[in-house]
Amino acid sequence: MPPSQLKQLKASLRDSGVLGPQQSKKQKRQNAKSGAAAQNRVQRNAALQSIRDRFNPFEIKAGGTRTKFDVTTRDGNSGTAASRARPGVTKSLGEEKRRQTLLREMEKRNKVGGILDRRFGEDDPTMTPEERAAERYARASQRKMRKESMFNLEGDDEEEEFQLTHKGQSLNDIDQDDFQEGDLGGLEDDASDSEAARKRKRVFFDDGEIDGPEDLEDGEEHPERKKSKHEVMKEVIAKSKFHKYERQKAKEDDDDLREELDKGLPDLFEMLRGVKPPPKPEPPKSDLASMNPDRAALMEGMAKGDTEKEYDQRLKQLTFDKRSKPTDRTKTEEEKAAEEAERLKALEEERVRRMRGEEISESEDEEDEEEEGGSEMSDDESIPDDAKAFGLQQSSGQASTRPELGVEDEDDFIIDDDLVETRSDVSLSIGDSDEEVLSADESEEEVEEDEEDELINGFTLPSDNAGEAPAAADALEANEGLAYTYPCPKNHEEFLQIIQDVPMEDLPVVVQRIRALHHHRLHPDNKKKLDQFSRILIQHIAYMAEQPEHPPFAILENILRHVHSLAKSHPESVSQEFRARLREIAADRPLNLRPSDLVILTGIATTFPTSDHFHAVATPAHLCLSRYLGQGAVNTLADFATGAYAASLVLQYQSVSKRYMPELINYVLNALCNLAPEEPKSNLGLFPSRSPEASIRLKMSKSLKSRKLQFWDVTGPESTKAQEDLKLSLINTFISLLSTASDMWSELSAFLEIFDQAQKVLRFLSRSCKGRIPSIVQDTLQSTLDKFDGHTSKARLTRRPLLLHDHRPLAIKTAIPKFEDTFNPDKHYDPNRERAEANRLKAEYKRERKGAMRELRKDANFIAREKLREKKERDAEYEKKYKRLVAEVQNQEGREANAYERERRLRQGKR
Amino acid sequence: MPAPTVGATSSKKRKNLKESGVPSSKRRAVAENDSADVMVEISQLEEQISESRKYYNNIAKLISMLNVDENATNPNLAVAVSLCRVFSRLIAGGDMAETNRAAENEKIIAAWLKERCREYQKALSAILREGDTSAKLTAFTLCMRMISERATHIPGEDPQVWLSGLFKNVIEAVVETGDSEALRSEFLEKFAKEYEDVRFYTFVQIADIAGTKQNTKTLDILISILSACDTVPSPQHEFQNFYVKSSKKNKKLVSVNSHKKRAQDAWLAVLRNNISESQRKILLRIMVHNIEPWFSRPELLMDFLTDSYNVGGATSLLALSGLFYLIQEKNLDYPQFYQKLYSLLDADLLHSKHRSRFFRLMNTFLASTHLPATLIASFIKRLSRLALNAPPAAIVVTVPFIYNLLKSHPTCTFMLHRVIKDEAKAELEAEGMDDPFDPEEPEPVRTNAIESSLWEIHSLQQHYHPNVAAIARILSEQFTKQFYNLEDFLDYTYQGMVQAELGTEEKPMKRIPVIEYHIPKRIFTDRMLKEDGGVDTAPGSLVRGLWDFP
Repeated sequence: MPPSQLKQLKASLRDSGVLGPQQSKKQKRQNAKSGAAAQNRVQRNAALQSIRDRFNPFEIKAGGTRTKFDVTTRDGNSGTAASRARPGVTKSLGEEKRRQTLLREMEKRNKVGGILDRRFGEDDPTMTPEERAAERYARASQRKMRKESMFNLEGDDEEEEFQLTHKGQSLNDIDQDDFQEGDLGGLEDDASDSEAARKRKRVFFDDGEIDGPEDLEDGEEHPERKKSKHEVMKEVIAKSKFHKYERQKAKEDDDDLREELDKGLPDLFEMLRGVKPPPKPEPPKSDLASMNPDRAALMEGMAKGDTEKEYDQRLKQLTFDKRSKPTDRTKTEEEKAAEEAERLKALEEERVRRMRGEEISESEDEEDEEEEGGSEMSDDESIPDDAKAFGLQQSSGQASTRPELGVEDEDDFIIDDDLVETRSDVSLSIGDSDEEVLSADESEEEVEEDEEDELINGFTLPSDNAGEAPAAADALEANEGLAYTYPCPKNHEEFLQIIQDVPMEDLPVVVQRIRALHHHRLHPDNKKKLDQFSRILIQHIAYMAEQPEHPPFAILENILRHVHSLAKSHPESVSQEFRARLREIAADRPLNLRPSDLVILTGIATTFPTSDHFHAVATPAHLCLSRYLGQGAVNTLADFATGAYAASLVLQYQSVSKRYMPELINYVLNALCNLAPEEPKSNLGLFPSRSPEASIRLKMSKSLKSRKLQFWDVTGPESTKAQEDLKLSLINTFISLLSTASDMWSELSAFLEIFDQAQKVLRFLSRSCKGRIPSIVQDTLQSTLDKFDGHTSKARLTRRPLLLHDHRPLAIKTAIPKFEDTFNPDKHYDPNRERAEANRLKAEYKRERKGAMRELRKDANFIAREKLREKKERDAEYEKKYKRLVAEVQNQEGREANAYERERRLRQGKR
Repeated sequence: MPAPTVGATSSKKRKNLKESGVPSSKRRAVAENDSADVMVEISQLEEQISESRKYYNNIAKLISMLNVDENATNPNLAVAVSLCRVFSRLIAGGDMAETNRAAENEKIIAAWLKERCREYQKALSAILREGDTSAKLTAFTLCMRMISERATHIPGEDPQVWLSGLFKNVIEAVVETGDSEALRSEFLEKFAKEYEDVRFYTFVQIADIAGTKQNTKTLDILISILSACDTVPSPQHEFQNFYVKSSKKNKKLVSVNSHKKRAQDAWLAVLRNNISESQRKILLRIMVHNIEPWFSRPELLMDFLTDSYNVGGATSLLALSGLFYLIQEKNLDYPQFYQKLYSLLDADLLHSKHRSRFFRLMNTFLASTHLPATLIASFIKRLSRLALNAPPAAIVVTVPFIYNLLKSHPTCTFMLHRVIKDEAKAELEAEGMDDPFDPEEPEPVRTNAIESSLWEIHSLQQHYHPNVAAIARILSEQFTKQFYNLEDFLDYTYQGMVQAELGTEEKPMKRIPVIEYHIPKRIFTDRMLKEDGGVDTAPGSLVRGLWDFP
């Protein structure tokens, strides 16, 4: 049987050392002095608390469920945590807190106004009043201290006014008194005063070590102290003055040192720059030695001022100076060539990568695009569209890179630098300062600007190989008649007005001058102007090509080159304009291309890399051409000529990337069938046949001549004779196109299928006009057929069955559940991070909500309780009052009754 | 003309109208001029007729006032309207009914009235044929009124007036006056679609008209009228909307079958007529939705459909859906259906505008997994051959279609992946190989296509359009997708693709396009050719070699 509760208590008290043998007085004092007493007290409190807990099992909440089995989990102490809960304590804590907050609010309800206590720590319940007071005092003294400047030694007296005093004595003095002199004077005064003083003192110093008795003990030293304090103050002042002096001295020393260093600075600059400085006036120091010391001193003073000034200037200069760079060694020719080759190789590699449609490692861009793609297909997002996965219907393509700036054109004009320079000086009245800026910039951005400058600064190209382009040469001569400045046009109409009186040949000069005058380095707005100008140029090209008097192609070519050069600096606007032209073509005349459209499409072929897998301008242009070839009108010879040009153009588009174009084959074969002297008996291939309303078959005669096609054939021939010639030439051209195409696509695996029909058509053609057409055409035909044969046999030889699915076989999906080695039921093993996160948040929200509800409920309970209490109080008060009144009344009644009784008795007595 | 239509309901009401409403409305319309006098006269004559029999001669007077004797170009419509009122009143009053019990003079009067009525109807049909549009419309409405009155009030008149009487004239007029859109749409919207009895008799009349050879224009009109009547009654349908109330009693008119029968007869008559090629296409196009539902015996369509199917080209494509309907629903046995289908895969198929329609159907036809793999392989191979010459929009459909076929017929994947046996390797090295596929073979199970490979699709992976190339590439990747939804790929066109690339208006670009780094020395001319050694190899040399740029 366990011992009784009381015995247990005693035993545990003894064990924890709360009860023990009585300490002696000496021990007690020692403990008090060393601070052990305080520690002991804390220890004892803790021990008592634990004992109390142990002996009051109702204070501690038992765990919800007792453990049935021994389990080891990683967070195995969860059960103990539950058992440690002490509902009584938490409840009382909550109650206390409510009393402090909620009750306060309740009381304040329906009340207005009040005093806000701004004193420090007033509302901090964790602070004892003593701590609060001490802190306040510390703050006050700090504030006072802050006011003084560091070197304000004499300020003490003035400060006196703001000091807290007690009986005209500074409080500072009082606390010193605590240690040194005690409150002797105070003791002599009436007791109440001293008591008050001591109280205040206790408020100020609650260290626990300052005890009353000590004051008395230290009392004797009082008179000496007063004096020494004064001395001390003086001493302190003296000391600080000394320090101040020391500091000043040190500073002066530093200054001296710095000056010395400053003197050496110019030399350092020289060394840094690696350039001989301009001969500087020798500092006159050396002379000073031999001079009159007075004068020398005077001069030195002056010199010192000068050097300082100079130093300042230098410093300023230095901040604005460019950091010097190691100069480049002049490169040898070979090195230059190698570098150039390297650069070209890099560019070519870039191009090839684009051609293959590989992404340039800009994964973020890609993502962006995907997102945008998603937003674009907002119309039916719920239904995944298979086709959209392939970028169909979406205008955004995959691969197109940022333009590489600083790409130099390895064109030939760099040679004419000197020519360019002089001319630009003369002709382009650019201000000197501008010129300076230009030249300065140019040295850095030379590479970037070279090709531009060439086009801007001189129409030098024709003069290089003069005689070849007489029109251009004319332009040079005519230069003198032209104005030197032209405004930058804002739209095409304005441009047309500007060049109204300018002969066609001088157009390049005008363009070049406008470009030079509005070079983007001359004015920030010029970039925008040139943006617009580049668009106008493209419009003008289309406009020129539509003119009835066909402008010389040299001019068109030059303007196109200008556009290309502008495109390098203004890629966005040039591409936009080209796209706008394409849009116009697609909307207005997709099946009837005009000469201007052909020129524009040719321009696209040269300005943009058509070999790219996807290109924002080249791909739609290609599509436009293919559409024309696939569906365009085939009624007149002009249509066929246009088709021939379009076919040549698409072939040129693919000359590098060698991609397959069904429309080209269809068109060419169909055209050959239609131009052939006889109608084919049967279908010659799987190409759809489209025939013109009026037959345009070749009428054969020996006199026919095949010629090279001219661009303006696309508008149709003039005479019947020319018509027949044109037919023959078209046949010739189509045959050579086929020949080129067969070269281009000889690598395709379906070469046999593609060119089988072509072979059939050509054979039919050669049969139908055997010996009746000029031998040149016959030769072309034969050589093309031979070429086909060669390619065909090669293709047959290299043909292998397809091995497209040489993939690793797909793994069968596993159905084995995923086991967790260290499974913990409290943990969530959701592989989906987002869902796990969401669940976590949900749980947290639920917990918080429950907590809040619980708190609110408790609050409501508390309020109800408080109200009840108030009501009870009120009721009790009422009851009390009522009882009192009743008692009073009864009292009175009693008196009356007594009086009555008395009266009655009296009467009875009388009777 | 409010009066006639209002007065239609009962004779009592009509009397009220006559006494109060009509004159007042007339009075309102009176104006101080000649035509006003005429109006007054007309209304006076009309009133007199209704007052007493002795004024019946006014009817003759009114008919003469109609002035449609020699040509009906300028009829007096007010007279026509008032005559219509007069006759309606008389018919409703039973004045025109022949009864045996009636006195002799009564009979004479009735006969006389009938004669006048016939005259009036003749005049109306003359107006219908020759009048201007508004006159036609008025006459048409009056005709329909008369039909209604006669069918309602004259016993035994009902079938006669519909089948041979006035209605026949009306329909003929509607059909023959081909230029009058307004009249036809009035007829269709207000009557044929609204009232079931009118529709019923329309079918009868059309079958009658189409029974004889008609010219193209008439047939066009007949087809348009027939196809406008497209609400086929369901078997449980209850006929409620009758123009003539008495029609309800007619057993024929309330049975669904007889309605269908009439429609079927009408359609058959049209189909048997000498229809033009374009009409045939139109008919085939509406076949499934508008024509076949009317047919209680769809097999009657078989001849027409098989004939159309054998025409070839686009007509065959169109006939396919009708034929499929018959095969599916009516168990039609069509020998060598797949052979025929295979023969439809010709050079023009992928370029035709019926491409998507065909692909939808072909998707259904080839959906069965029980079809022989050789047959499927032939279709696949044929399609890929065609794709080699197809526009991008067609390639975009063809490749997913082939994918779906390959996915449901895994045996055919040999066409994508065929490991060469070691013994055959040497021979292959030495001689290469030809395509084992025989494109000329009309029988799809004998083409040997399954021995071949899809080199065509492989080549299309090099298509110039990036998206098309990407789609062609799905065949060389792992077949992880169950199937591609063909509908998503069907309706692409050049225009759509160009627009997808370019957009409709200018938008800031996401990425600035790359510019060719090399500014060419020459684009059109042979500038500075000599410096390069006289041989033009720079970019663009191809065009410069073929073309002169003066």
